[in-house]
Amino acid sequence: MSEQANEQPLPLDGIRVVDVGTFIAGPYSASIMAEFGAEVYKVEHPLAGDPFRRFGTATKRPDSSLAWLSEARNKKSVTMDLRMPKGVELFRRLVEKCDVLIENFRPGALESWGVGWEDLRKVNPGLVMLRVTGYGQTGPYRDRPGFAHIAHAIGGLSYLAGFPGQTPVVPGSTPLGDYMSGLYGVIGILLALRQRDKTGRGQVIDIGIYEAVFRQLDELAAAYGMFGKVREREGAGTVIACPHGHFRTRDDKWVAIACTTDKMFARLAEEAMGRPELSSSALYGTKAKRLAARKEVDALVGAWTMSLSRDELMDKCNEAEVPIGALNNIADIFADPHYKARGNLTTMDVPGVGEVVVPSVIPRLSRTPGRIKTLGPPLGNATDEVLGALLDLNQAELKQLHEARVI
Amino acid sequence: MVATEIKRDFPLKGMLVIDVATFIAAPYCASILGEFGADVLKVEHPVGGDPCRGFGTATRRGDTLAWLSEARNKKSVTLDLRSKEGAKIFRELCRKADVVCENFRPGTLEKWGLGYEVLAKENPGLVMLRVSGYGQDGPYRDRPGFARIAHAVGGLSYLAGMPKDTPVTPGSTTLGDYLSGLYGAVGVLLALKEKERSGLGQFIDVALYESVFRLTDELAPAYGMYGTVRERHGPHVRVAVPIGHFRTKDDKWIAFACTTDKLWARLCDAMGRPELASSGLYGESARRMEARHEVNQIVAAWAGSLNRDEILDRCIASKAPCGPLNNIADIYGDRQFAARQNLVPREAPGLEGDVVMVPNVFPRLSETPGRIDSLGPQLGEHTDEVLRDLLGLSPEEIADLHEKRVV
Repeated sequence: MSEQANEQPLPLDGIRVVDVGTFIAGPYSASIMAEFGAEVYKVEHPLAGDPFRRFGTATKRPDSSLAWLSEARNKKSVTMDLRMPKGVELFRRLVEKCDVLIENFRPGALESWGVGWEDLRKVNPGLVMLRVTGYGQTGPYRDRPGFAHIAHAIGGLSYLAGFPGQTPVVPGSTPLGDYMSGLYGVIGILLALRQRDKTGRGQVIDIGIYEAVFRQLDELAAAYGMFGKVREREGAGTVIACPHGHFRTRDDKWVAIACTTDKMFARLAEEAMGRPELSSSALYGTKAKRLAARKEVDALVGAWTMSLSRDELMDKCNEAEVPIGALNNIADIFADPHYKARGNLTTMDVPGVGEVVVPSVIPRLSRTPGRIKTLGPPLGNATDEVLGALLDLNQAELKQLHEARVI
Repeated sequence: MVATEIKRDFPLKGMLVIDVATFIAAPYCASILGEFGADVLKVEHPVGGDPCRGFGTATRRGDTLAWLSEARNKKSVTLDLRSKEGAKIFRELCRKADVVCENFRPGTLEKWGLGYEVLAKENPGLVMLRVSGYGQDGPYRDRPGFARIAHAVGGLSYLAGMPKDTPVTPGSTTLGDYLSGLYGAVGVLLALKEKERSGLGQFIDVALYESVFRLTDELAPAYGMYGTVRERHGPHVRVAVPIGHFRTKDDKWIAFACTTDKLWARLCDAMGRPELASSGLYGESARRMEARHEVNQIVAAWAGSLNRDEILDRCIASKAPCGPLNNIADIYGDRQFAARQNLVPREAPGLEGDVVMVPNVFPRLSETPGRIDSLGPQLGEHTDEVLRDLLGLSPEEIADLHEKRVV
């Protein structure tokens, strides 16, 4: 805490956050807050800790997978057994000293331990509490277990990923919905903190992961409501523009091309492909004609992309200002000069692990940019420090709590 | 307006936001700010306005459902920024504003004399969100950016699809736009928080591809440490078995997510085959990972033997994590969506007799929930009102601007 004195001020300096969530959904809100100056206490079970520590690829440090190291950045680990009365008491006292509480237990769990919203607001009326679950705190499904994979399905995203009539695939990444929930969560928290500064009163932000997914599906709901339109899987393209999809290249890579207007298609046909006749009004010059002849247009573009390497295609399209992008895999990303110039990857040296490369902080603020000071902490690395400083526990008391396995 | 204004308080009440952006990315940030009380002025070109008005399914009013839904709560003010007088009026608006959201290609506002430096000189507290395909710097900054391209460049599209087959759209073509709007809103709220201390604004530089890349969990650290290049895995997720999509007897789809042995045991109960969760068979995660193919086949055979609703009932009874792959018709019939009011009906001028169903405000705040007072405005609907009330222009001056097509 003291070392921050010399640093540039950050937007959330002085804000204290208790993150008692697991995995990504709620905790990602806390990670963003920590990147921008908040002090985040990751409250974990003394023995097992957050199961996220064991999610994905392991490292040399047994309590820290790579995903944990990256996403628990800047946090301090404080252990506490919430199933023991003494642990609950410590938790209540800690929350009393903090501005924000983030949790993602099943609805009712905190209440059953005596530290639900009604209990906590009595000891801390200004508290802002983020609650993230699969289905939210209310409604008939509230008690069902929730995972991002299920939330993508419920929220309507998974149904749309894949080829028409074929197996729906994972929409690129399994924890997408968790991250989305974290983003909505931190927006809710920042709004609620602003309101608290005006009135002194805190509030609850209630997030169902499926809702975070559903909110991002543009006109899907409105088009069904008005016209009964049920959107289906559209493969690599989209029914509203053409050519607008993924195309294979001669060197067996893939590019995305997105011509949303006639002007863009004209640039593709005339300048990049060298086939000006294709964008004539007699052929495919208008969107209506291209949509009607989608198969032919995609085949023409596909045949052209197969005649060139990915890099050649990128050059031709960029020169003609046709929107194109490589379908990067992670090796491509590490070699990409733009990622490098923007500093999108940060290398951190982690004690007991070695060098770890993680995605850098976004969003990018011009005057008070966020920062990564540390990666995910070892289990319980700040228990004594935090309980000593914030709750005034002395060495003897801490020792007793350790022995009783409360912390 | 008057009728709904009674006693409602919002975190962003009294704040003025100028949204001079197009489509969804930066405008979605402004939509969120508007939902929570900010006054949002949508500044559009006098001819045609925001092209989002033409994106997707048209209504009989001429503009689309996506526009009606996503331009909620905004006031439309027309202004030709390319004209000297238009630029001058824009500067006057920015002098009164708290936030400006834009997504022109980098350098465009500067060319018109409306860059951040100019605007901040006149209004040092101004917070400016700048969204673009590749960000304000780096070698690709001048390339056109769309969400489809950003999904590719950010590494998401490469991961969506069947192994070795054509990569597909990760569910929705506009995901990257929404994600950038979310990161934008996070950045704006952080900057506003910091401004309370310093009195100074700043700009937030959001690149579409970065918003996508940030959500890819351990993709970067796993390549950095072990050289792992993640590939497409179709309907399945590699971290555990079974997590995936399965076809049901009635030709629908269902998602299972058994991330732990306990959850697998519950699924075996639902299947009526508890022996599959024994340690001799597939009880342990390591064993299931080895026998991935067999386990998925067993689950697929069971899923194919029952209708979707029967499977759901059994899984809910045994608390196994599962969910239907909802299409939008399913979502309209879903009890959880109804109970949580995830869809709300609204009316719009020019669409009398029609009801437009739109996704409700999200996130959900307990004390100061957001609002949808109106849907997307008609082009220039509020031009005169804003020029008169905010800038104090006379009827003659306003008429003159109309005549010169500045507004």
